[in-house]
Amino acid sequence: MSRIASYIDHTLVCADATPKQIVRLCQEACEHRFAAVAVNEVHVHLASRLLRGTGVSVACAIGFPLGGTSTWVKWYEARSALREGANELDMMIYLGALKDGCYDLVEHDLTAIVRLCHDYGARCKAILECALLTEDEKVRACRLAVAAGVDFVKTSTGYGPSGATVHDVALLRRVVPPAVGIKAAGGIRTYADAMVLIEAGATRLGISAQASLRILSEERQLMESL
Amino acid sequence: MQLDPKTIDSLVEEITKQVLAVLREQSSRSGPLQRAVDPMSPCSRCEEKGVQQLPKTIRDNVVRLGIPSDVRITAQDLARYIDHTLLKPDATYAQIAQLCEEARQYGFATVCVNPVNVQLCSQLVRGSGVGVCSVVGFPLGATPTRVKCYETQQALSDGATEIDMVINIGALKSKDYGSVREDIAAVVRTCHNSGAICKVIIEAALLTDDEKIKACQLAKEAGADYVKTSTGFGPGGATLHDVMLMRQTVGADMGIKAAGGIRTYQDAVAMLKAGATRIGASASVKIMEGARSES
Repeated sequence: MSRIASYIDHTLVCADATPKQIVRLCQEACEHRFAAVAVNEVHVHLASRLLRGTGVSVACAIGFPLGGTSTWVKWYEARSALREGANELDMMIYLGALKDGCYDLVEHDLTAIVRLCHDYGARCKAILECALLTEDEKVRACRLAVAAGVDFVKTSTGYGPSGATVHDVALLRRVVPPAVGIKAAGGIRTYADAMVLIEAGATRLGISAQASLRILSEERQLMESL
Repeated sequence: MQLDPKTIDSLVEEITKQVLAVLREQSSRSGPLQRAVDPMSPCSRCEEKGVQQLPKTIRDNVVRLGIPSDVRITAQDLARYIDHTLLKPDATYAQIAQLCEEARQYGFATVCVNPVNVQLCSQLVRGSGVGVCSVVGFPLGATPTRVKCYETQQALSDGATEIDMVINIGALKSKDYGSVREDIAAVVRTCHNSGAICKVIIEAALLTDDEKIKACQLAKEAGADYVKTSTGFGPGGATLHDVMLMRQTVGADMGIKAAGGIRTYQDAVAMLKAGATRIGASASVKIMEGARSES
């Protein structure tokens, strides 16, 4: 029994992902008991149909990966995904407003989506894109996300200049209360990468489809050698 | 005698065919003419345009299109071809304001921004002749049609005059052409209802040549105004090869926007000569400085 699988969002959010690849992603997620599959919104309907009753969640990316859509559009996008059967939303925050110090805009943007999620019994993760933020901005973004009531804060989209770092995960863990999860995402390729992030405080890992299977087999080999 | 454009086109087509046939026949007899008429043999113009990179079928047709290579593009002309672009997620108010100021100063076609900045931009460029271009379903193209339409509607009511939408690439790859066409057509309709222009991003770097051709055909069938090479966030930007291929596919009556990795005056001019009618660039000011030092 894999110990790491329940941490993993089995992820396929590239622009050219096909329905066929999504079917495989869902099969793998079922087989290995991953926490969720993370997909783009065009694939939510398919994934949620395939995963109904399996205990594997469907996470959908919102305002992804730039966060450059208005709150209205994110809200509409989120509602559409929730109606299609998404149980979790990974939304990108309004980064420009954060940089400009317009914190109420950032919080308002988050609150709208969090409320909608909770109305549907779904969970909301706020993506901070740490690689583009200063230390102060990371702390500020976490506080705004917590105030908005998010269920997770997430380090990165995987499309930014770099992915999850141990430093950022530890920082996020220190800032947000224990009830809020930390999702590390971006550039997690090996079992060792995954384990150090979990030790630093990550409660969820966003890992692209190929890497997550490789990490599981690394874990299996390690267990057998013990 | 009055002729309608369709008749003229078909006559030109017919005459071209006959002239080429005669010339080919001549050239097969006399060596020296060959260079002038055989589209397969490289000439200086081919080298300038990088035609050698193209597959055979395209090369045959580039002759027909007759892209003028000796047209001089003045700095002022060039500005009207450029979408002055700032799409990074952490763009601040000050950076957007500067973008608009530069667009007014140089007379760029539009400022191209994320939807969240459209309202601000449309206020800042009002009355200057500079348009506001918003992106939709950007950069992955992986939101459902209804979300793309809603996003388009919002951008238009915020003051966008042009929309750059990304196609459903996964559906294209799965040969689900009906979905791709419908997705484009719905956004195009929304744009045209408000008198806005719709550009269709095919993200060429993720596609095979056949898929690029198919995507262009679908965009044309859906009534789009432009096809656009890339988002600038994909694995590669605009290439001369793609622009020529797209021009050959859509014909003369659709626009082509080359975007991604266009950083110098020379890049921009090469794209225009290859058939592009719009350039998406964040280095537009540098491109304009290059144009001025050139002339």
